Amino acid sequence: MEKVIQLSGLQKKFGKFQALSDVTFSVNAGEVVGFIGPNGAGKSTTIRILLGIIKRDAGHAEIFGKDVWKESFEIHKRISYVPGDVSLWGNLTGGEIIDLFLNLHGSGNKQKRDQLIKRFELDPKKKAKTYSKGNRQKVALVTALSADSDLYIFDEPTSGLDPLMEAVFQEEVEKLKNEGKAILLSSHILSEVERLADKVVIIRQGKVVESGTLEELRHLTRTTITLETEGEIVQLKNVLGVYNFQYKDNYATFSADTKYLNDILLAATKLGVKKFEAVPPTLEDLFMRHYEN
Amino acid sequence: MKEKFSRWEILFAQYLKRDWKKIIFWILGIGLFSAGFVPAFEEIAEGQGLVGLYETLKNPAMIAIVGPTPIDVATDYTLGAMYAHEMLLFCGLMAMVMSVFHVISHTRKEEELGLTELVRSFHIGRQANSLATMMETILINIFLALFISVVLVSFGAETISVEGSLLFGTTVGFAGIIGAGMALVFSQIMPTSSSATGSTLGLIGLLFIVRAGTDISNANLSMFNPLGWTYLTYPFTNNDWLPLIFALIFIIIVTMIAFSLEGSRDMGAGYFPEKKGREYAKKSLLSVRGLFFKINKGIMIGWGIAFIFIGASYGAIYGDMQAFIESNEIMKQMFSHSGISIEESFTGTIMMVMIVLVSILPILIVNKLFTEERRLRLSQLFSTKVTRRQIYWNCIGLAIFASIIGILLAAGSLGGTAISVMETKSTMDFSDFLATGFNYLPSVLFMIGLATITLGWIPKFGKVVYFYLGYSFSVNYFGAILDIPEWVSNIAILSWLPQLPVEEFEALTFITISVISIVLMAFGYFGYSRRDMMEGT
Repeated sequence: MEKVIQLSGLQKKFGKFQALSDVTFSVNAGEVVGFIGPNGAGKSTTIRILLGIIKRDAGHAEIFGKDVWKESFEIHKRISYVPGDVSLWGNLTGGEIIDLFLNLHGSGNKQKRDQLIKRFELDPKKKAKTYSKGNRQKVALVTALSADSDLYIFDEPTSGLDPLMEAVFQEEVEKLKNEGKAILLSSHILSEVERLADKVVIIRQGKVVESGTLEELRHLTRTTITLETEGEIVQLKNVLGVYNFQYKDNYATFSADTKYLNDILLAATKLGVKKFEAVPPTLEDLFMRHYEN
Repeated sequence: MKEKFSRWEILFAQYLKRDWKKIIFWILGIGLFSAGFVPAFEEIAEGQGLVGLYETLKNPAMIAIVGPTPIDVATDYTLGAMYAHEMLLFCGLMAMVMSVFHVISHTRKEEELGLTELVRSFHIGRQANSLATMMETILINIFLALFISVVLVSFGAETISVEGSLLFGTTVGFAGIIGAGMALVFSQIMPTSSSATGSTLGLIGLLFIVRAGTDISNANLSMFNPLGWTYLTYPFTNNDWLPLIFALIFIIIVTMIAFSLEGSRDMGAGYFPEKKGREYAKKSLLSVRGLFFKINKGIMIGWGIAFIFIGASYGAIYGDMQAFIESNEIMKQMFSHSGISIEESFTGTIMMVMIVLVSILPILIVNKLFTEERRLRLSQLFSTKVTRRQIYWNCIGLAIFASIIGILLAAGSLGGTAISVMETKSTMDFSDFLATGFNYLPSVLFMIGLATITLGWIPKFGKVVYFYLGYSFSVNYFGAILDIPEWVSNIAILSWLPQLPVEEFEALTFITISVISIVLMAFGYFGYSRRDMMEGT
């Protein structure tokens, strides 16, 4: 598969503050990569480096095989970007701003623009200073989505949108994915990432702490198991790989390390299993695990 | 009824606490400007100065700018009469505009920012905020009036009486409150805060032009003009308090209208519907240049009008210049070079003053690029096919364009007015004025160069250029009177250029400074293309 974004060992300092210490991941064509992390973890800094707005101190960063700083002009012909904090010129209307950006991008689709304005229910005749955060975001989304690009970078694109509009956005992203575009989606809405993303990259304090497909990540973490047995269930508490053990009578809930799943099940069957339920970790669990440490 | 305004005093106290620094600057700034020029006027008044000025100010062009005087005989034109004549209208306007900005930014603007929503959700009357802001503005203007009066009296000038001083200060204060009242009305009826500011200032501008007309034809008609009440009190001469009674009635009516309008409208809405904008962009907007032009259009037009206005006011003096300058020792020293006509020498000095003003506009445009960057508005632009080079050079191009237009407007309106008031006596023609103006173009380019250096390397210090501009100005303006060491004077870029039309044009200097300026711009680009964009800082 064609690598669209490739980052390795990215570092950036702002004065004495180490904003990024080691960011490594890649995005392929036809792939949605969810980029998640708590506030201040370095998501936007990474994205700004990708866009050539700020310069990295060390590491490699390429888009379409080109250096993001030196060849940003070439790269920008083929990308669309939606910032997390959309700031517009107050005395231009939404419609004017969209037209301006599309023209500067060079490959806008007029028909798609009008269609998207309708789908997102944006009033393009209003001056931008009267727009709410959600409406400003719609302006940026309509622009990004009606431009014909190969890479789409979304920085928390739906934080101001209502659930209906969020659904519209998700549909559009799925369309892009099916067309074989690459998408980097930085988001706080984990359910959205879980639904759209093929791969997840978790960043914390300027460092990528986890990356891979959701499946792969789930293997790394614990499954929540609910169990009812005939024998004394409390015996399971000391089996290797069992955590957060809570029980009442012969009914227990605990998290199990995927590595030791077999041993745990063997121990359980000895007690006579009456009921068994296993819930794979949600993205939120994955996220919280890194967040809490 | 009362509950609409209930607990406004809590907000009022809060606002005084919030604004105290601004209030001090406001009162000191306008107050010292209004009252502090007495010693300077005393200098001007020496010898035949008053008579000379009286003749000059009888010129209709001057009446259009400063207003009329009730004095009929030049010998009655005392220092106080002159001071009120020349200063009062302008001081009143300043107080007025300041109050307009203050009222709108704390009423309508806060609605837009969502602050009002929060305040209204507390146990506070729906209109308490407007009342508190209005009261605050009135209080500030009362203090301003007192401050001006006290400063005026403190100079102890013979013809600046206590009653006159009190009237002068009070008139300026009333002007401020009139502005506050008008602003409060427009805050209710216009759809946004910027249109409220625009229409209030527009109305003041219109009233100003109307009064210029009535002052020349029949000053009694100006009594029907709210702006008229801010100078027809004639302090130190007629000491007429009557216009202030009209003003008081006007303020009460206007404020009541504003409050009743506010009472029956929704928050965030106006009475005039919001003008719908374009659904699609015009072709002219669709480029970096088009965008920069559009976002700078407002300040360019505003400054352009100011340049024309200033040029015309200086130009109007040419008619009686001889009398004006000869009447005063300092003026004479400043403007006279031996063997050269007074007009020519005056033109050289005045053009320098105007060039300094013209320089502000391109610096503003260059600094605006950094504001855009900080407000996060460039990142989306930059992530399209637009390069930093395009962004940078388009901005510089616009700044240079604005400089050329600025010089053209300032020099053109100075020359045009001067030639028309001098009739056939003129020793200079229109092209001489333009040449004098454009001779200074390299100094403006140099200022742009300095501004681009800060933009490219130390963008947070963009305002430093204004200090240098101020320095250049003072050195050259006062250089003629004071003995300034050559090295001090040489730091100022204006010193390097010859003062046309008195001195000869020097092509080499012209080109050298231009080239240096372009090198500075290129060096600025070198930094700009390399540094991180500073978003949200």
